[in-house]
Amino acid sequence: MTEAAAPDTIVVIDDDYAMRLSCSKILSKMGLRVEAFENGARGLEGVAELKPGLVVVDLKMPGISGLEVISRVHEIDPQIIMVVITGYATIDTAVEAMKCGAYDFLPKPFSPDELRMIINRGLDRRRLALASQRGEVERALLKRRFVTFVSHQLRTPLVAIHQYLDVLKHLDQTKDDPARRQEWIDRCLKRTEELQKLITDWLTLARVEGGTLIKERVEVDLKPIISGILTSYEEMAAAEQVSLEAVWPEDALCVWGDRNCVNVLFDNLITNAIKYNKPGGKVTVTGCLSSGEAAIAVADTGVGIPEQYRPFLFDEFFRIKGEGVKRTEGSGLGLHISKQIVSEMGGSIEVESQAGIGSTFRVRLPAWCAPAEDTEMGGWE
Amino acid sequence: MTMEERRILIVDDDRDFAEAVACFLEANRFTVFKAYDGKQGVKLAKLERPDLILMDIMMNERTEGFFTIQELRRDAELKGIPIFVISSFCTHLPDFEIPESGGWMAHDMFFSKPVDLVQLLDKIRQRLEKAA
Repeated sequence: MTEAAAPDTIVVIDDDYAMRLSCSKILSKMGLRVEAFENGARGLEGVAELKPGLVVVDLKMPGISGLEVISRVHEIDPQIIMVVITGYATIDTAVEAMKCGAYDFLPKPFSPDELRMIINRGLDRRRLALASQRGEVERALLKRRFVTFVSHQLRTPLVAIHQYLDVLKHLDQTKDDPARRQEWIDRCLKRTEELQKLITDWLTLARVEGGTLIKERVEVDLKPIISGILTSYEEMAAAEQVSLEAVWPEDALCVWGDRNCVNVLFDNLITNAIKYNKPGGKVTVTGCLSSGEAAIAVADTGVGIPEQYRPFLFDEFFRIKGEGVKRTEGSGLGLHISKQIVSEMGGSIEVESQAGIGSTFRVRLPAWCAPAEDTEMGGWE
Repeated sequence: MTMEERRILIVDDDRDFAEAVACFLEANRFTVFKAYDGKQGVKLAKLERPDLILMDIMMNERTEGFFTIQELRRDAELKGIPIFVISSFCTHLPDFEIPESGGWMAHDMFFSKPVDLVQLLDKIRQRLEKAA
């Protein structure tokens, strides 16, 4: 059980007494609990009992080999970080150790600093894995409370609208302010739009589960669709102080699929890129033809997506929480639906993100026209 | 101090809801402060020392209001401020009735969203008169 694990405990398995001693010394000075064992069999017993966050293992030992120790440790807990040390370091042994599930590799002789650095990196990795796992548990709970969740999301905008109308009704005529009245009407309209979008997303989710988002298969030119989306969000982008840009090849960029779905897909990606951007930021949509596919990238200059959240980004209802995260309305379904659209159209979607620099969503969809010669595409790569 | 100079803090992450209720209370001559999350709420409570706090429960996709009430109740200087919970989290809070001794969820009154403005105003006045 991960809950019972001791993340700050390190197990060292090495037949060399001097190595066990020096590893123990260096690592205990880092505030870690270290237990050292002289062979694989004892080491594995120790791992089963202690549930350490990280195991340092010598590759060449009498008895159970280091490689075997790695796979046996992962049978106990696949999340334990394995660091391999070895005296006969070659690229091949390193590669083999990595294949067996080792996280990192340290050739002997090594300095205390090198050991510290590798161990710290391993422990960071472990913490990240634990954090992701917690996210997963949270999502399972969320799904179970689907009805409560959906009702709350529906009720929130409704309550706001109701309250505005109710206050307008109760306000003394003499205190009525036409400008404020107008502003409140605008806000109510915004909230009704929010409601409609929520309902559309949930209906789409129901269709996602049936695997039937695509209703037609026709030739769709991406350029006018994406340009149209960008134009329709100019005002919203200006309000967020975000500029919009598109970089296109001269020729049409056509895919084979459902026009409405393509529209929903890029609408989701572009609104996200605006919403999760920074004032003064930029959204760049680039498109090109590449190896028979239309490759479209939607890049923002926002805060980026923390690595531990990326595996869940396309899951239903997943939304990044925490301090410093902009509060935004929405169903938490946009990317989930987008991914489904892309896969029903036989394409792929990926995300790249760097903290503080921004995120780029890359969509590839099978192109409708056979690609022209490669030399012509070079300029758009 | 007359009722009209009383200060009310609204803690709610829905800016539209906070704005509507604030405007109504201001029209009834209260001074209103708005906070959009629990942390800001505690900060404003310390700074402005309101006479009464209106607290939402579900904020930022968690029951932030519960934690915020706990925090306010633990603060020696703030723990006496009456707190009215206004939430769409549920229609009533059966488990969270205030025990005489003042338990962990010591709010003073519960209203469901959308709130009945006349009733809210009435209860606020009653509560503040009692305090005075």
